[in-house]
Amino acid sequence: MRILAIETSCDETGVAIVEDGRRIRSNIVASQLVHQDTGGIVPEVAAREHLRTLDVITEKALRDAGRQLSEIDAVAATVGPGLIGCLLVGANYARGLALAAGLPFVGVNHLEGHVYANWLYETEDIPPEPELPAVVLVVSGAHSDLVLMEAHRRFRPLGRTIDDAAGEAFDKVARLLHLGFPGGPVIERIAKEGDPNAFPLPRALPADRFDFSFSGLKTAVLRLVRELEKKGEVPVADVAASFQKAITEMLAEKTARAAAEHAVETVLLGGGVAANLALREAIARRIGHPLRVPRPGLCTDNGAMIGAAAFFALRHRGTEIPVSARSDLKLA
Amino acid sequence: MLLALDTSTDWASVALFDGRNVLAEETWHAQRRQGDELFPAIERALLMTRTALSSVDRVAVAVGPGSFTGLRVAIAAGQGIARGNGAALVGISTLDVLAYPHAPSKQRTCPLLRAGRDTFYAAFYQERNRKWMRRSPFLVATLDEICRQIGTHTLFVGEIEAETEAALHDLLGPKALFASPASRVRRAGYLAELGWRELETRAQTKINEIEPLYVRQPSIRGSFEQPFAAPPSDERALGLPKRS
Ligand SMILES: [Zn+2]
Repeated sequence: MRILAIETSCDETGVAIVEDGRRIRSNIVASQLVHQDTGGIVPEVAAREHLRTLDVITEKALRDAGRQLSEIDAVAATVGPGLIGCLLVGANYARGLALAAGLPFVGVNHLEGHVYANWLYETEDIPPEPELPAVVLVVSGAHSDLVLMEAHRRFRPLGRTIDDAAGEAFDKVARLLHLGFPGGPVIERIAKEGDPNAFPLPRALPADRFDFSFSGLKTAVLRLVRELEKKGEVPVADVAASFQKAITEMLAEKTARAAAEHAVETVLLGGGVAANLALREAIARRIGHPLRVPRPGLCTDNGAMIGAAAFFALRHRGTEIPVSARSDLKLA
Repeated sequence: MLLALDTSTDWASVALFDGRNVLAEETWHAQRRQGDELFPAIERALLMTRTALSSVDRVAVAVGPGSFTGLRVAIAAGQGIARGNGAALVGISTLDVLAYPHAPSKQRTCPLLRAGRDTFYAAFYQERNRKWMRRSPFLVATLDEICRQIGTHTLFVGEIEAETEAALHDLLGPKALFASPASRVRRAGYLAELGWRELETRAQTKINEIEPLYVRQPSIRGSFEQPFAAPPSDERALGLPKRS
């Protein structure tokens, strides 16, 4: 089954052609660079950009895959969670496309997409599927969710952030250190040159066992930087490395504990922050075996992950497939 | 067959038009649910007229000015349909649609749609040399500012609440005329007519070039003698920043 899949929940316009939920035939992602000037995403600007680029990218995704629309079996789009104005562009375009081409439309939960990014490959030889059940950590600028995936399309939310998303914390610290936007990749790069043990930072552990909280850490970094500024030069690399160590350990700690408590072997990662090497290593060290992580381009928002999730949604019929766009859509 | 889609404001409308007759039309107060309700309405119109979407070869969408998020619902849907079955896609100004049914009245006509708490989208329409024309740029302005442009009897149409009607009476006295509630509602049948006509005379544009009229700045300047023209030219006339 060949699915054309669309992702427009935030600031990436993504369209992909995916076969049988695993093989990527094309995967076009247009990142909206307009947000770099504002140091954050302006929802109205993001929605305008989606509408301007979506059809062009759809055409390109078909062309790159060497396929006509008549060779597509279903159309999928993210219907939430995300920015509602952005979701509405992708979802309505996809529904129009599906209806006009006589194809089924599959609404996809964006978080489910991040999970199913772990099923995707670009090459001919595709490894076996990840074994289930699995504990999945989805961390990005928009979400920090810890989920137990019991079987295909059976998700049990274990915990989430009670304040900022992990990616937001990276962005805010990067801004504080005048490193630019987005913060994740730049902090990781600078941190390589710093000492992660230079400054001890607090690791908040919220009462609910698998929830996250990053605002305390963020405030501690702010206070630290202000103090260092008073003394003279701020050792940017050391601050970045210490922050990265604190936040990745908080994430790794709970992820490993969730895996142990639910006696789950498989740990999967998704979301932009999953591209962070320190995080992967911290988790692998705790669970005692290497973990499978999508390549960085599949960790961040893209259409292919929506195509993979849509395939498994169609294959496991009887499970509910959403149609309407919802900014606060929950994982089943 | 032409499918017309309008989600410019809290009011939404869908119509099917065969070039001569409006075969189906549905207009409703969707509020913020346009995103959920547009496709069920499209499917009802197709079902009622036993039309397959494959035989729809033209799509007209209302492009504003109006609610940006609302506008993008119908425009994105129209873009998707055009990509899906190759239909020709055209964008028509929402204010043009509101004014058009009142052309036979020969009255100077001013459609109004709420833009913000105190501001409205507006434009002036009038017959000139036997041709119905938009004779102002698209305005975003307060009622005060809009009424300062008015020296003659003017018919107000569009989404006019009781308080707005009262304010216009205060500002203009007997010069303010009001269309009846049913005749001032925005109906996709008229959008369909205008869209059909536009596609007869104009070369087809690229799908992604159909987008909302992002009219923003109060813009009382500019030419007042514009023909009843295609929206994109107005975007330039208003001096909006060029898209990147
Ligand atoms: Zn995401």
